Amino acid sequence: MTAFIQYTLQGLSTGGFYALSALGLAVIFGVLGVVNFSHGACYMLGAVAATVLLDTLGLGFWAALPLVTLLMFVFGVLMERLLVRWLLKLDPLYNFLLTFGITLVLVDLVKRRYGVSSLPYQVPAGLEGRIDLGSLSLSRYQLFVSVFSVLVCLAVWMLLTKTRIGMIVRASTEDAERSRALGINVGRWVTPVFGFGIALAGLAGVLAAPFRAVNADMGSNFIIVLFAVVVIGGLGSILGAVVAGFLVGLVEAFGQAYADRFSQVLIFVLMALVVLIRPAGLFGKEEAA
Amino acid sequence: MRTKSIAVAATAVTGSLLLAACGGGGPASAGGKISDGKVVLGLLNDQSGVYKDLSGPNSKVAIQMAIDDYKKKYGDKAVAKDIEIVQADHQNKPDIANTKAQEMYDRDKADIILDVPTSSAALAVANQAKAKKKLYINIGAGSTALTGASCNKYTFHWAYDTAMLAAGTASAVVDQGGKNWSIVYPDYAFGQDMNKSFTAAIEKGGGKVQQSIATPFPNDNFATFITKAQSSKPDVIGTMAAGGDLVNFVKQFNQAGLQGKTKLAVGLMFITDIHNLGVDQFQGTQFTDAWYWNFDDQNRAWADRFKAKTNVRPSFAHAGNYSAALNYLEAVQAAGTDKADDVVKQLEGKKINDVFLRNGEVRAADHNVTHDVYLAKVKSKDQVKEDWDLEEIVKTIPAATAYAPPSGACKM
Amino acid sequence: MSERATAQPTATERASGDVLAVESLSAWYGEARVLTDVSLAVQPGEVVTLVGRNGAGKTTLLRSIMGLHRHVEGTISWGGRELGKASPDARAKAGIGWVPDDRGIYASLSVAENLTLPPVVNKDAWTLEQVYEQFPVLHERRDFPGTKLSGGEQQMLAMARVLRMGSRLLLLDEPSEGLAPVIVQRIGEIIRQIKAQGVAVLLVEQNVKFASTVADRHYLLAQGRVVESLDNDAFQSRTTELLEYLGM
Repeated sequence: MTAFIQYTLQGLSTGGFYALSALGLAVIFGVLGVVNFSHGACYMLGAVAATVLLDTLGLGFWAALPLVTLLMFVFGVLMERLLVRWLLKLDPLYNFLLTFGITLVLVDLVKRRYGVSSLPYQVPAGLEGRIDLGSLSLSRYQLFVSVFSVLVCLAVWMLLTKTRIGMIVRASTEDAERSRALGINVGRWVTPVFGFGIALAGLAGVLAAPFRAVNADMGSNFIIVLFAVVVIGGLGSILGAVVAGFLVGLVEAFGQAYADRFSQVLIFVLMALVVLIRPAGLFGKEEAA
Repeated sequence: MRTKSIAVAATAVTGSLLLAACGGGGPASAGGKISDGKVVLGLLNDQSGVYKDLSGPNSKVAIQMAIDDYKKKYGDKAVAKDIEIVQADHQNKPDIANTKAQEMYDRDKADIILDVPTSSAALAVANQAKAKKKLYINIGAGSTALTGASCNKYTFHWAYDTAMLAAGTASAVVDQGGKNWSIVYPDYAFGQDMNKSFTAAIEKGGGKVQQSIATPFPNDNFATFITKAQSSKPDVIGTMAAGGDLVNFVKQFNQAGLQGKTKLAVGLMFITDIHNLGVDQFQGTQFTDAWYWNFDDQNRAWADRFKAKTNVRPSFAHAGNYSAALNYLEAVQAAGTDKADDVVKQLEGKKINDVFLRNGEVRAADHNVTHDVYLAKVKSKDQVKEDWDLEEIVKTIPAATAYAPPSGACKM
Repeated sequence: MSERATAQPTATERASGDVLAVESLSAWYGEARVLTDVSLAVQPGEVVTLVGRNGAGKTTLLRSIMGLHRHVEGTISWGGRELGKASPDARAKAGIGWVPDDRGIYASLSVAENLTLPPVVNKDAWTLEQVYEQFPVLHERRDFPGTKLSGGEQQMLAMARVLRMGSRLLLLDEPSEGLAPVIVQRIGEIIRQIKAQGVAVLLVEQNVKFASTVADRHYLLAQGRVVESLDNDAFQSRTTELLEYLGM
């Protein structure tokens, strides 16, 4: 029983991180209809940026958290303005290919500049070690990441549900064409939303730096899991991304505990099941036939 | 003497005719019975991916050092006068390795291929070597199949293999009292091989493997795997992860609060891993190293030369490439030709002591190159005296104990 | 957005100018031409219906006016200005209100949010209070997700939404479709009320009977062409013939 609770705790804490990481992907798909393949690369850039800030300017984790997020927002804005925007009117496949290309370029640029090996990054002071609760124990940093992720998800949720900006974003997410016909300049929201999504990827990257290998390839495997998360949750659904994030975290933890080598496969089995039963995902809107 | 000079003259004539036929160009080289007038060393390894730092382009530097040393030693008497290096990136993929090896042997006229990390790629190149009847010395890969079921006359395995890593690390750690193990290994050829070798070595030493946990590969999240490995309260957790996965594992192991509580043994680790990540993460971790640059003056002197050219300290793979290239050239010198069969004859059974190999022997039976290896421990920050001063050599493991006897699986 | 709204002239200031004029409009889906040379006009305070079979091009015409269907030739002008390549949101802000045939209610927005989402584009737009007064059920359900309403309520909501924007031209796509007679009747009342306020209404209808109770004029659309233009009296006298013609 203790083991069961322990695995659940671990699954939830990984899940929080997945939810946060997938959130930006969901937001961008929702508003722009762009499947942003470069989300993994942006996550990687966030982590690499954190190590570089530490290395060159001596800025630690707590400074990197807001700073890298901001930088990645700017990066996202530029990416949308200079590249993504021009393909928005075409088949979504073009932007998928574009962001795939951006991924390759970013990964290779980072390799060229910082090599292929993992860069060092430490757990921030005060978050080392673990917390023991009776027979249960959790890594202090893991706990921090999940609580922080949940708070960010909550803040994003508040922003989306309680503000006019959020209302417009939700409406545009649900049906951009209709929103235009109702006088909403959806285009004006596209750039900041894209930047916001990329910023979330960068933020996830900074959070990942202390507990994951920071290297140019760190996003390539991760993006696959994130795609599973958003497909399970329903493409473009923000609530879906969060719920599916936790679900995938739990499946992974229990997979690791009881089906070791199949722990990753299980995520995709879950995805296949969800897609079979509800093609649009758990919280996705069914396409009107 | 007479026959030799005739041969030289014949080669020179053929060579110049050949050059004339090709429209000239290039220096005329008549270095004995050297095919195409030159010896071509092919370096085939990971030039852009996870294994780039531990070998990669810097191995070319190491091979060039071997060429320089060979030329310096033999001067005018050198059989191979014109020596060239070609290199290619196999991206750790067996299909690419296969094609590149073919190109190297056929188009680039490579007389030997060196390095080839990643076991599946390494085995693909062994097949090419066999088919083309050209030499191949593997340095970067760990698969015991290279000197087992997949062995062949032209393939040599120079630096390490999984059995040696297991024999070194597992027996040493068991001897120190680490009897009960949990092994976490990636579920692919190398990981499975390592798990088997480690389990055998632990049990042979009187230890016990409580759990063997297979993980997906590649994998970022090891949190629950670590919890599960710890659940049987082992003395040692052994991870067989490599590259980025190893970093993921170690970071998460430390965050689980296990650093210093449960012993961590790493199956395969390169000094570049420790250097890139810093000693803090790995401090106290034990592993088997095939060679360490700061082990003695001879190593250090070589490492200084290497650093002058690359600005980094060499990994064992760099030194291994140097040693393999140099000994190949020595064999060419002794054979008086680069004809593969003659060179193989020179190498087989050769006992070698050089900067890389101590008490080394090229075993004729399976072409495994056995030598003394080292049980290393990652230093703590306050023990580090200079850049790259990262390992404490706990003990030397003699070649005889480090390597398993030739396996019956190898039929030349 | 509110600055923009105050910059708009009031209904009376521009009532005379609020004319929708479509001239020689053709539209395509890829290679297929779905509208050919359509010309029509709607005056302020006038209710005009487009009647025709499914696939006659009625919805495409509304979407072209809204700027949602872009593959068109010909001119569409509103309030004396040619709309040209104006974006849908610019058209909405110029006072064109769209009520799509699926009602277009947002599932992820509450009833109240559905109402307040679009910008107010006219001074004399309905206030939220007016909307709730007219449609008490929307007030009761204001915190429900928009799609939890019944079909009739959703139709009310969709219409109330553009009235709160202060649209001067309503493009209503089959508002009576699939609704109970009593609700259809209520919708008829609302349309007459809107008309009384000088708003122009372009109504797509297959329900000939309903159309005749609310409209001033009718255009018959067949295979993308306007085949006949009738006033309501002529329309009513020929109802049976028209029904047959339309195959309804």
